[in-house]
Amino acid sequence: MSDDSIQDLLRALAEADASTEAPPEIEMRLRKKFRSRKRRRAWQGIAQWALWAPLVPAAAAVVMLFVFVHRKPAVAPVSPVSINTPALPYLEQVVPPQPEEIVTDFFPLMHPAPPFGRGKLLRVELPASAMKMVGLPVHEEHLADAVQADVLVGEEGLPRAIRFVKFDIK
Amino acid sequence: MNESDETLLARILDGDEEAFAALYRRRQGPVYRFALHMTNRVAAAEDITQEVFLALLENGHRFDSSRGNLLSFLYGIARNHALRRIEKSWRMEPVAFVDDQPGTEDLLNDLMRRETVEQVRQAVVSLPPMYREAVVLCYLENLSYEEAAAVLECPVGTVRSRLSRGRLILAQKLIGHAVGNCL
Repeated sequence: MSDDSIQDLLRALAEADASTEAPPEIEMRLRKKFRSRKRRRAWQGIAQWALWAPLVPAAAAVVMLFVFVHRKPAVAPVSPVSINTPALPYLEQVVPPQPEEIVTDFFPLMHPAPPFGRGKLLRVELPASAMKMVGLPVHEEHLADAVQADVLVGEEGLPRAIRFVKFDIK
Repeated sequence: MNESDETLLARILDGDEEAFAALYRRRQGPVYRFALHMTNRVAAAEDITQEVFLALLENGHRFDSSRGNLLSFLYGIARNHALRRIEKSWRMEPVAFVDDQPGTEDLLNDLMRRETVEQVRQAVVSLPPMYREAVVLCYLENLSYEEAAAVLECPVGTVRSRLSRGRLILAQKLIGHAVGNCL
């Protein structure tokens, strides 16, 4: 039997079966499955949201707690040189001034002060006796009171200067 | 408007049932016939057709148009299912084909033609699967060698050699059948 004859016979088979199709009930079954799958996916989406939604406030609380615990000391701007130290050309972290704060000039803590490149300003709480150390007048009975101060720390980690903060209560 | 298979697939993945129905109606015939010629079982062909389109729903996003057209993708899924079934059971049950187009020849010629077609069909389904799938795709579903190679995941040269070998086996089987009938 020649190769052409085989191909003719295969062509005859292809023609005989050309109109053969899947029975219509398969399409119906598939469409039904399509709809149920679509519904299932919609429910899955809702279920996922329902599962996670109650956790959102808890997650927010955790994030806020984390931020609170890991917050850096407040940093206030430094107005250059009301102290007898070299100019303070650049500070890494600068926070906009709080309008209700009244600050003193900076008082140098190192004599003589090495050159100052950059540093950080740390908000700390100290006894009022620290004000007396830099020559500010403090009444004896208030020496143990807590006062807020900004300490300027050089990049080498040494305190260079200090200023005291008073909150103006309006 | 005649949308491409790929456009319909995109709509299907967006949840458009009408697009699914349109693609199914367009492509169920080739998939069903391929499954039928591979397994020679109507029930298996129906199951495979259904599984192919369900797989399209589940894994349609994996279709990569750079590797072939969507019909090749569907044939590829059908092929996997068919081969799995062939591996499970080598016993083939006879299949009842319905000829929807009665010939105009006389009854004797029609019977002879039917018998010949049936002999060829049986010869095809008795081919080893690796030759059968090449013969079915290229001669019964009229895929090009390149398209068949994409479905079979082999080089075009392999498709050609499988077809050549498949025709040879078919010739031997059909000659044997003819001789058997003469005796």
